[in-house]
Amino acid sequence: MFKGKIKEARICFAHPRVTLKYPFEPLEPPDGFRGRIQVDVEKCIGCGGCGNVCPSRLIRFYDEGDRTRMEFILDRCTYCGRCADVCPEKAVTMTKEFETATDNLEDLYIVQELYMGTCNRCGRCFETENWIDKIPTRRHREGALFVGPAMPHAKPVGEVGG
Amino acid sequence: MHSTGYCQALEKAAEIEVPPRARFIRTIILELERIHSHLLWLGIAGHIIGFDTILMQAWRIREPVMWLAEEITGNRKLYGMNIVGGVRRDIPAELHPKILEVMDHVEKETRAVLNAVVDDSTIRMRLEGVGKVPNEEAIAHSILGPSARGSGVAIDIRADHPYAAYAETGVNVIVETGEDIWARTVVRIKETLESIRIVRDALAMMPRGPIQAVIDKPIPPGRVACSSVEAPRGETHHFVITSEEPRPYRWKARAPTFQNLQVVPLAILNETIADVPITLGSFDPCFSCTERVEAVDVRNGQLKVYSKRELEELSRALTRRLRGR
Repeated sequence: MFKGKIKEARICFAHPRVTLKYPFEPLEPPDGFRGRIQVDVEKCIGCGGCGNVCPSRLIRFYDEGDRTRMEFILDRCTYCGRCADVCPEKAVTMTKEFETATDNLEDLYIVQELYMGTCNRCGRCFETENWIDKIPTRRHREGALFVGPAMPHAKPVGEVGG
Repeated sequence: MHSTGYCQALEKAAEIEVPPRARFIRTIILELERIHSHLLWLGIAGHIIGFDTILMQAWRIREPVMWLAEEITGNRKLYGMNIVGGVRRDIPAELHPKILEVMDHVEKETRAVLNAVVDDSTIRMRLEGVGKVPNEEAIAHSILGPSARGSGVAIDIRADHPYAAYAETGVNVIVETGEDIWARTVVRIKETLESIRIVRDALAMMPRGPIQAVIDKPIPPGRVACSSVEAPRGETHHFVITSEEPRPYRWKARAPTFQNLQVVPLAILNETIADVPITLGSFDPCFSCTERVEAVDVRNGQLKVYSKRELEELSRALTRRLRGR
């Protein structure tokens, strides 16, 4: 009986303290960690690829005249990072920030507007003629993904949240 | 693990060939998951019988595996590594030494814990001869995974129907014939060591090449496919019917816990209520923390509901009693 106990005691004494001091000391996740989403509207070309692949379908694009409004409603985000994977311009990135708990839902909304040229033949928005070649996926504006005001999230939420 | 099952089913339905490197990466991720799952289970089992030292130590050993997964995939759990046609991230050569280092650490520590636990008579008293599932009952109830292998049934999807890169790495199916909780514990600890071996071999054998298949045409609708994956708890099946829309028409997953739970009434027959938590726990069930037991006294028809806390207390009191003996 004591043989096992002594071996167990030896294991315990060899590792006196293994816990980290977090949250009293900041913790840096490794590179490639999938944390809170960041959108750089300067780089965005409005291709809508992120909205196409989002499994939670929380990224939505709305054409409003010569502007495109994009909404990231991150309260459903699973941090899979597919949007960052497919973004051709690296406008969507995953930060290392993981302390995303909040009591205000609007902290989780990213709403941005992008000025787009409008094609005078088909009426769809595009950034510039040269850039449109970079767009690998057709953007989703109609169909199942575009739910409109029936969804509770779909109501407009200020200029820039998040 | 479920994502592998789902992706494999879809790949079968759409006849997509997964690049070899992606298959090896899948194997490595699946085995890392098994290592941390078995160590987690070992800790929980210790906790149930009131032996929290093993909880602390097993989880201490497990933590570097979680950090490693975080570094490879971007998250501790819910790796999001699989995609239909391959995997999303490569395992770069710079990470190989680190993976091997973590594997060495886990192997050394797991062996030390195994050595200590084998000699601990209190644990043996609690686990040996308890929760017995005889070999023929295990076959009759079709129980799966380490629970079946603890009863001498040599079934393992990885060896029987190899997927990912298991055909290349090979799998030694760990079988114990004790039929009790101790046998299931030993199976899990030895499987952890076997998983470490598979990770090392897969890393060494990993070919160069792409990690995603090129999918240039849509997935044909109306195809039916099924795929099986050996989860840490047993085999998991995914069944998919494709549709014209970019989502499946039907999708059904069957996890092993449902199958394994059918044998619990038999395993707890003629045992004390204090043995119920560890017997149930020995099947590594996955049903959140809603454990409670309704006990009916057949002599007077009285009903008593034991909460999780009461059960835990009973189980620990039994360990204390046995130790005092």
